Amino acid sequence: MGVMDQIELPTPIKYVFNWGRKYSLWCFNFGLACCAIEFIAASAARHDFIRHGVIPFAHGPRQADLLVVSGTLTDKMAPAVKRLYEQMPEPKYVISFGSCANCGGPYWDSYSVTKGVDQVIPVDVYVPGCPPRPEALLESIMRLQDLIQGESLKERMERRRRDPITLAAAGVPERESTT
Amino acid sequence: MSGVLARRDRALTPEETEELLRDRLGEAAVVGSVVEYGVFTLRIAQEHWLEAARRCRDEPLLAYDLFDNLFAVDMREEGFDVVTVLYSTSTGNRLVLRTRCAGGREAPTCPSISDVYRGANWMERETWDMFGIEFEGHPGLAPRILTVENFEGWPLRKDFHLVSRGVKPWPGVKEPAELDEDGNVIERVPRIGDAPGPYELDKVIAEQAKLANPVPEPVTAEGGNVEELAQDADLASDSGQVLTSADEQAAEEAEAQASDVAADVAGAQAQDLEQTAKDKAEQRRREQAEARRRKAEERAADADDAGAAPDQEGNA
Repeated sequence: MGVMDQIELPTPIKYVFNWGRKYSLWCFNFGLACCAIEFIAASAARHDFIRHGVIPFAHGPRQADLLVVSGTLTDKMAPAVKRLYEQMPEPKYVISFGSCANCGGPYWDSYSVTKGVDQVIPVDVYVPGCPPRPEALLESIMRLQDLIQGESLKERMERRRRDPITLAAAGVPERESTT
Repeated sequence: MSGVLARRDRALTPEETEELLRDRLGEAAVVGSVVEYGVFTLRIAQEHWLEAARRCRDEPLLAYDLFDNLFAVDMREEGFDVVTVLYSTSTGNRLVLRTRCAGGREAPTCPSISDVYRGANWMERETWDMFGIEFEGHPGLAPRILTVENFEGWPLRKDFHLVSRGVKPWPGVKEPAELDEDGNVIERVPRIGDAPGPYELDKVIAEQAKLANPVPEPVTAEGGNVEELAQDADLASDSGQVLTSADEQAAEEAEAQASDVAADVAGAQAQDLEQTAKDKAEQRRREQAEARRRKAEERAADADDAGAAPDQEGNA
C-alpha cells in the first residue's frame, strides 16, 4: 500500500487511480455450493464479466483484490474463509453472493451453517437470491466499481484499522435505475 | 443390478442367505429379516454384529466384498439402530445388516466393524459425530470430522435442540399435512408477517406487513359464499332480491332446505362451475370449509350440552 493509505491524494490523481483500480479486479472465487455455478456462468462466455474488468480465477488469495463468497458457509469452513481473506492484500473487497452467504438462507435453523459470511469477514456488497442470476453478480460488480470510484483509500484504511471486523464500506452509492 | 461380471445365477436368495447365516452364527444371532423396497434386511443381535460382518465377507457363498455404507437411525425411546449396506461384486447381491445399539439413549455402544471393512472406519466416525454412538474397537473416533471440533451435542438425534428454532419458530405449516382432531387436513395459507422474530421491531414490521398485505377473503367465508350466491342470483335470475336482502342465517337455511330460490341459484352456480376448473376448485374448498365449520358447531354444541348438564343438576 505504501503511502496511498497515509495521505489523501489530490482529486484528479485519485480519480485516475481509482479508475485504474476498479477495472482490474482480480477475483478470487470462494465457491461453496450451487451459487458457485452461477458465478462460473457469469465468468463464462455468455455473461463474461472480464468485459467489466473483473479477472476470474486469480492464482491465489495473495494475488486477488476481490473475494466472492458464493454458497453455503458452514461453521467448519468459516476459519478457512477467514484465513484466506486475511491472506489477501489490501485494499480488498468482498461480495457475498446468494442467500446462504448473506444470512444462512434456507439453512437458517441448521446446526452447522454460519448465519452469513459477514459473521466472519466484512462484506462490501450483498447479492440476494437463491441462487442469484449471473446478471445480479454483474450488477453487484458495477455497484462495487461505483464504490471504488468514489472512495478515498485513506478513509477506507482508517476505517479498517478502527474496526477490522464489522466495517467494510461506508455504503454503496445509489445507482440510477438501469431498467 | 445387471453387472456384466456379476454372476446372478450363483446368488443366494434372501431365504438361503438367512439360513446360511443362522447356521454359521447360531439361531440367536439373527433376530429377524424383512424384504422391503427390494432390499433384504437382516436384523442381527448386537453381540454377533462383528462376527456377522466377517461371515458376510468371508463365506464363499455370500462374498459381500464391497462395503457400501454405514449409518444410524434414531429409534426414539428404543435407542439407536446401526445399519450397514453390503454389496457383493461377484453375485450382485445387496444386503442390509441392522442392529440395535446397547446402552439405550444414554450411552449407545456398538462393536466396530472397521477391522473387517477398512472403509467402515470413517463411516463410524461420522456416525459417532452425528449420533454419539461409541464404536467399541474403533482405532479412534475423535476428533470430530463433520462438525466443528468444539461442537456440543449430537445433531442428528431427534432430541437435539436447534437453537435457531427456539428463537424463531418455523414459519407456516410444519408437516406436509397437519391434521385436526377429526383427521381432516388443515389447509393453512401462510400469510406475510405470520412469524415475527423475537424483537419488538420484528413484531412491528410484521404488523405493517399484515396491513400492507390484507387477506383478500376469509377462508371459511360463509359471507363470501352468500355474496357470490347473491351475485349469481343477480346475474342468473330475477329472484336475486330475496337473497341480497337475506342475511347469512337466511341464506344458510335456504341452502339447507333446498328451497326453490336456492335450487335455482345452485343450479345456475353449478352451470357456472362446470365451465371452468378454477371455479370447481373454489367450490371444493368451500365445501371443505363448510364441513369443517359444521363439525366445529357440533363440537361446540356437544360441549355446551356437557357444560349445561352439570349446571342444571347443580341448580336442582
